[in-house]
Amino acid sequence: MTGVILTVRDPAGPPIDMAGVLPGRDGVADLPLLRGRERHRLEDLFAVADGGPDGALILRPGGAVLDNVGAGMAAGEILVEGDCGAHAGRGMRGGTLIVEGSCGAFAAAEMAGGRVRIAGDAGDFLGAPLAGSPRGMTGGSVVVGGNAGDRVGERMRRGVISVQGQAGALCGARMIAGTIVVGGGCGAGVGLAMRRGSILLPRLPAETPAGFADGGEHDWLFVELLRRDLTGAGAWPAGFAAEGIRARRLLGDRSAGGIGEVLILSGV
Amino acid sequence: MERNGVRIEETFAEAFPMLGTRLVVTADTPAWVQAAVVSMTGFATSVIGCGCEAAQERLLSPDETPDGRPGAAVLLFSISKAELAKQVVNRVGQCVMTAPGTACYAGLAEGEPIALGNSLRYFGDGWQIAKRIGGRRYWRIPVMDGEFLCEATAPVAAGVGGGNFIILAADRRACQTAALAAVTAIRAVPGAILPFPGGVVRSGSKIGAKYKGLIASSNTAYCPTLRGALPSLVPEGVEAILELVIDGMSADEVAAAMRAGIGAVVALGAAAGVVAVTAGNYGGKLGPYHFHLHEVMA
Repeated sequence: MTGVILTVRDPAGPPIDMAGVLPGRDGVADLPLLRGRERHRLEDLFAVADGGPDGALILRPGGAVLDNVGAGMAAGEILVEGDCGAHAGRGMRGGTLIVEGSCGAFAAAEMAGGRVRIAGDAGDFLGAPLAGSPRGMTGGSVVVGGNAGDRVGERMRRGVISVQGQAGALCGARMIAGTIVVGGGCGAGVGLAMRRGSILLPRLPAETPAGFADGGEHDWLFVELLRRDLTGAGAWPAGFAAEGIRARRLLGDRSAGGIGEVLILSGV
Repeated sequence: MERNGVRIEETFAEAFPMLGTRLVVTADTPAWVQAAVVSMTGFATSVIGCGCEAAQERLLSPDETPDGRPGAAVLLFSISKAELAKQVVNRVGQCVMTAPGTACYAGLAEGEPIALGNSLRYFGDGWQIAKRIGGRRYWRIPVMDGEFLCEATAPVAAGVGGGNFIILAADRRACQTAALAAVTAIRAVPGAILPFPGGVVRSGSKIGAKYKGLIASSNTAYCPTLRGALPSLVPEGVEAILELVIDGMSADEVAAAMRAGIGAVVALGAAAGVVAVTAGNYGGKLGPYHFHLHEVMA
């Protein structure tokens, strides 16, 4: 038994909604899919072939926009040999989503478990809630090899997000708990109204967040555990030091009664 | 059975089920690890009077600990999950969290969890922070030298308590020398501890007493000074007797520890004043684990 390879027949055209196309699912060829506003059989849009690791689903977009890739996935593995559109890994509960290219907005939004690895960039709202929802990511891990957009980990409740490059504005805004690591620093409004959780950065943002108390530099033993864990997963930013647990802590957002932390790692 | 002039009695050590856990204590230096562990495992010789039995299992090098610092593995045993949980929280809270620079982690991979940091976190008075790393949950409790990092829970597993053997020697010095040799050998066995002072018991006990309410009293049959006054198990030519009590995470580990300890004693031999090795039991009525000395040493 092997996996399934889906290759987009015609990359030009509106986005394809991949909701429901999950690894290990029987009768993939007959699944109904929306492309734009039109309904199709999956086999009309994709060439279906056997291949890849047992049980895995391999997507070859060839330039087409694929939304909702891996949305709601509970187990198995999806490999995207290219870019994803919006909502990649949205609401994932388990399994692994590997994207060799970049993702659009809302990647890993409201994710509850599993692993998402994006080799390229991620759009806005990475690990954030969908509009109107009170919780962002509640579990699992996300690794972005490139940069991420605004509002990374907004309202995040649990889990780890690691961005090797830069993150945009409002990183960790309204964060409830969890851990965000950004290797290249982030834009304005970091940790705005965060209640708990940790945001690790290589340097102070251009504007020090107003609601945070500067506690000075200290040793943080948990950073060593975090580094070991993320290094093992290839998720510790390359720009961060390979050893040392010293960091400057900004505690906040006190204006929201929060005791979250922005840790500025030393020796970066 | 006789080895190197030492008689090994045809009897058995009787042991009973306990619940145990392993904790890993780390600190900035080996000295602070020892300070914490010695304090934590103090007054933990017997469940009869201490609530738990505990001792350092072994030292850990930095590459064996979760945070890359010097550490030690500690085993703690008790008779119930509730009592073990109480002892663990009290001892870690009063003896490990108080020691400079320490951290405390669970050392077993599986088992029913008992609260560790989940109880101690309240010391943070609202400033404590939970952190989940690699699927494990920790509490970061602010203290005066930084943070006390403590795993949220520790798994509990079935263990074996009360493995033992008894050394009979010509005099006290010979008996202590033999006991220390056994302690050194047993401490190299993973998964087993010797909870008594220096690993040795001189006041072995029997169940009950002539006094009401006393659940244990001196093992008078093995008191050399009482020979002739009561039915004695002290042979002619024996002036001192010491016991080694062993707890382990499994019967196999207790047996391995007994084998190592008795082996060290008989290696000294009759020339060093060792007369015999025997074991304590209660006729098979106390516990389901019977370690027959001849089988252990076969």
